[in-house]
Formats: sequence, structure tokens, C-alpha cells
Amino acid sequence: MKNKTVLFLNALLVLAVMLAFTTTANAGGKVYKIGMSLAITGPTSDAGNPYAKGTEDYFKFVNDTKMLGDDTIDCTIRDDQYKTEVTKRNFEDYLDQGIVMYLNYSTGSTLGLKRDFEEEQIAVLPASYHSGNLIDSNYIFLPIVSYGEQLVILGEYVAKHHKGGKAKVALFVHPSAFGRGPVADVKKAIEAGLNLELVEVVEHGKDLDNTAMLKRLMSKNIQYVISQTVQSPVATMLKDSSRLGLSASSFGEAGKLTFLGAHYTGGNDLIALAGNAAENFFWTTSFNITSVPGEGTEKQLALAKKYGRDQKAAESHNYAAGIYVAQVVTETIKRAKEAGLEINKKNLYETLNKMNGTNAYQAYSAVGPVTYSKTDRTGVDMAQIYSVQTGVFKKVGEPIQSEYMK
Amino acid sequence: MSYFFQIVVSGVVVGSIYALAALGLVLVYKSSRVANFAHGQIIAAGAFITYFLTVTVGIPIFFSFLASMIITFFLAMSVERIFLRRLIGEPIISVIMVTIGLGSIIDGLIYLTPFGSENFSFPEFLPQNSLSLGGVSISWTQLLGVIITFLLIGGFSWFFKKSTVGISMRAVSDDQFGAMSVGISVPRVFGLAWAAAGLSAAAAGCIIGNITGLNFETLHAFGIIVFPVVILGGLDSILGAVVAGIIMGLIQQFAGGYLDGNFGLSGTGNVLPYIILLIILLFKPHGLFGIHEIERV
Repeated sequence: MKNKTVLFLNALLVLAVMLAFTTTANAGGKVYKIGMSLAITGPTSDAGNPYAKGTEDYFKFVNDTKMLGDDTIDCTIRDDQYKTEVTKRNFEDYLDQGIVMYLNYSTGSTLGLKRDFEEEQIAVLPASYHSGNLIDSNYIFLPIVSYGEQLVILGEYVAKHHKGGKAKVALFVHPSAFGRGPVADVKKAIEAGLNLELVEVVEHGKDLDNTAMLKRLMSKNIQYVISQTVQSPVATMLKDSSRLGLSASSFGEAGKLTFLGAHYTGGNDLIALAGNAAENFFWTTSFNITSVPGEGTEKQLALAKKYGRDQKAAESHNYAAGIYVAQVVTETIKRAKEAGLEINKKNLYETLNKMNGTNAYQAYSAVGPVTYSKTDRTGVDMAQIYSVQTGVFKKVGEPIQSEYMK
Repeated sequence: MSYFFQIVVSGVVVGSIYALAALGLVLVYKSSRVANFAHGQIIAAGAFITYFLTVTVGIPIFFSFLASMIITFFLAMSVERIFLRRLIGEPIISVIMVTIGLGSIIDGLIYLTPFGSENFSFPEFLPQNSLSLGGVSISWTQLLGVIITFLLIGGFSWFFKKSTVGISMRAVSDDQFGAMSVGISVPRVFGLAWAAAGLSAAAAGCIIGNITGLNFETLHAFGIIVFPVVILGGLDSILGAVVAGIIMGLIQQFAGGYLDGNFGLSGTGNVLPYIILLIILLFKPHGLFGIHEIERV
């Protein structure tokens, strides 16, 4: 009796192994390895967490819907807690695993690993839109317009819509390369003829009261404050301005301050932090946002629903940004496959550089086409301005391109 | 002139909140000679507990605030009981390292919740306008912050000077073995010191969170930001924390108001307090109100 049972179990095991081999043989698909390192916890994880979810969900969707046929994408996502040394370790480990493209996150780690990317000759899409990433680099591809360009776009909007002479502007920036870098772009645009007067550049700290700063700006007749930082300090400034009665109730209201900001200053988190004080804040990014419904945002919400994300993540512009980088990676692999190329670092880099002209790619998460070449390593060259109206961001005009950055 | 007075008021307000955030560090150091590097995490935990009780459980915010102080009181006491009590008598550096580890553990626990990576804000419960007098304005949140700061600091000052437990805590701080020899329970004193620090940290967290919004990184950074306040005031002086907090607040606001934006300067409000701190410490190495102990050998 005992022998019969053993025999039956052995036969079952052999059958199971055969079945497994048959399934694999039928799939016949290749697995393309992608690596991603970002802050899922730690500083800036309010952005990194939904960003990671967007990327993860989109790659799952690619595999589940067989977008690449039998081939699949295996993207490993690791938390680096915003620590460059951890990012480096993750990146090196990914290289050992044989990744074909890499998704990075912060400005600091992108700048810090720039040489490694060059040595490894691997295409990298960071979540940092710092134009300095592109200096002395051939392998870093900015997903959307740089922070500098975003500030110039806002500056151009101010110059165009300000009434009564030259608009006086202050920049409110993060005390780091992330915040300081774009200031030079604004200064260059002004030198090139952008009709603004840059009166002051404010580097903020962890301020509990911005009264002195705001009153100083008012005493200098500044009317516009353009921010390049993260949401929390902007929220504190908006709340202080609001309670002091200094915030403009409409764009450019005389004798008041109109606040504007680049990608990481805005989104639903700003409204969550600043409440009513966020009203009339002008924000620019190159992503579609869910409070302005459209085809792209419908797909974004459907993706989030399919993979069980909560409403907060589903509606985050950082979730859209995470989807976007996954879309670009997928499209690059798809095009390389269609061209009959082997999927490796070199071929994907070359394919990405051909994504322009009639080959431009329209990612549903972005407001404009994605174009890359050896001389243009900025993906979406357009940005959309939004402003907070009755508690949600609404579209202001159509997507625009900077005149002065070209 | 109103600009000058506005800066003075803003400086005092910010300084008071610094003092409240620094109070917990002083209380722990005063009784146990330990610098608590997990203080920022307790500040953040206090704010998040209040938010949770208010928004998720639906308790009115003032009661949530009180409940959060009570919860952190017992939480901090438990932390001391579980992790630190067995280190009594061990070198101070060991205890400090434990507080650093404790900070990491609390970080990890908070990262497991949505509070670790999302932004929140308290429901509006105070008028949004300012109180203004002669062109000088102060928000209701700031005013409440100042009142709570002075109530807590006054209460703790009285407690340390007049109550038996407070006096025994000072005795432990002065000489553990001496205190034990007259029957004071050192472990109990340590537990109470941590508990009181937890209570004040929760109050600080709620006030800071109501100003900046509830972001974990921003909140727990205040545990480190207030270190210069504690050092300047003298590590074991409550009065020192108040005076140093206000000095720091005033320096920040005056630097921001008069130096930044002029002479090509920017961000001086963040740097100048540290420069002044170094200069003062050159002349008063134990801080403004710190005790200079002289050992006879």
C-alpha cells in the first residue's frame, strides 16, 4: 500500500514538472529587466510613493494585456529612502541582474550617478527634471520640460498677462541644486528679453512664519512669487499670505501677491496642506491631471482601479508621472522589437533617440508628444498651466512651449 | 515702524514654538543627562495621533489634542520602560545610541502607515483671519501656540520647583546615587521625565502641524532643528529653552526681514542663528542658563 502511494505521488510530480515545462515552452516569451530606485519612504516619499505605484501598475498592465506579445517586462522597484548611496547600490545590483533601461528619482542621485550611467551606457529616465542632469551626459533623458523651463513658462505667462508695465517677480526656491539650478534659466530668459524684473531670490528653510519675508516682498512692490521647491514650504507661505490678506483673488490683482510654482510645488498634496489658502495658485506640469477629465486621465483612473489603488494615489499627478516613464520604456522596447532589434541597453538607447518627428510618441499621461534625439533629451516639450479654483486644479489655456528656452 | 514690531512679534511667536518643541529634550536631559535623538519622531507621532483621532475617529479636535498628549505621555513612558530602563547605570553614549535606534524604529513604524508618505492637514478649527493691532498681525494658530507654550512651560517650571516629584527629578539629575541613597526611585523619575517629554512633544507636533501641514519629514525635522535652542539655553534649563527659543526666533525673523534680499544675501535666517550660537558658546560654553558643574578632586 505504501509503495503504491509513493508511486502515485512520483507520477503526480513528474506530471506537474512536465506541465510546467510545457507552459513555459508555449509562452516562449522573453523577459526584459528594468530597474527603478526611488524614495518610497523617507524624504519626498509623498511624491515617490504614488510614482512607484504608477510605474508598477503600468508594467503589470503591459504584461497582463500582452502588449509585448509573449514577452514581459520585469521591473524591480526598490526604496532608496532618498539616499544616494542606497540608489548607487540598487543601480549596481540592477546592472548585475542585466537591466536594459533604468528609472531613477532624485536630482542628487541623478547628478551623483551621472558618470556611472555614462560608463554603463544605459538610458536613464529620472523623476528629476533638473536641466543640470543633461550637462556632460548622453544617457539621461528628462521625461518632461526642465524645472528651469517650467519657471520660464510661468514667467512668460506672467509677462503676457500682467497689466501695467514690467512685472516684478520673486523666486522662492529650495536651498539645493534642485531649487537653485533653475534660477539661472530664468535670469538667462530675462537677459534674452523676457519682460520681467527679477527682484529677489528667496531660499527658504523650515519656516514657521513667513510674515517678514512676505511683507518685505510687498515693500518692494513684488506682485508674483514663482516657486521651485516641494509643497510643504509653499503651503506654509500660502497660508501666511492668506491670513495677512496679501494673496491675490485673481491673477495679477494689483497690490497683492499671485503665487505660481513648478511641478513638485503643486498637485492635490498642496491643496491638502494649504486648504483654502491654495486658491488661485498657478501651477505648471506636463502631465494630465484627474481634476481636468479627459481620455488620458480616464485611462489613469481605470489603471488604478484595476490594480486596487486608493483614490489618493489614483488621482495623484505623481502616479501619472510614474505611468509616463513606464509608458516610454514600454514604447521603446516595442519599437525596438518591431525593428527586429535585440533588446539590450545599446539598442534601446538608439531607439529612444529616434523617438521624434513622425515617430514622436503620445503618452496618454502627458499633455504633449514625447520626442527624443541625440540633441533633444527632453521628452515632453510642452507644459500645461493649472490654477486652483474652488478647491481643485483647473486648466488655464492650452499646453504651451517656452519661447525663451528655445 | 510696524514692520519692525511685526518682526518682533513673529520672532517671539516662532521662538515660543521652538521652545515648546525643545521642552521635551530639556525634560529628558534634565533628569537623565541623555540627549533624545528620537524626539522629532515623537513630535510627529503626536501630530498624527491627533489627526487620526479627529479625522478618522471623529473626535472634536480639542479633545483629540488632549487625548494625543495623554497617549504620547504613556507611549513615551512605555518606551522608557521597555528600551531604556535596563540601561540605567550604563555609559551615556549607549543610551544615546539607543535613542538613535529608537528614532529609526519609529520612522519605520510610521512609514508603514499612510502618514509616512502622504500629506495631510488638520480640519480648520480656528478663524482663518489674523488678529491685527497697529499693523502687526498674528494668526490664531500662532496665538494658541504661544498660549499653550507658556502654559506648559509655566506648569513644568512650577512642577520642578515646587512639587515633591519635580524636586526628586532634579535631585536625580544632579546625582543619581545621592538621590537613590535618600530613597528616590530613579527608574520612576526617568519614566516620568520621558512621559512629560512625550506630552510636550505631542503639543508641539500639533501646533507645528497646524502651521506647516502634516508631513512626516517636516515634522520630525523639528527634533533636530531645536537642538541649537537647547544647547544655547543650556541643556538642562527650561527657562533657557524659552529664552534661547525666542532669541533664535528673533534672529531668524530679523535676518529674514532685514538681511535677506539686501546686499545680495538670501537664506540668512537659516544660517545666522547657528553663527550666533557658536559665538555665544565661545563665551558661555554651558549655554545661557546651563549649570556649570565644578568637580572637586
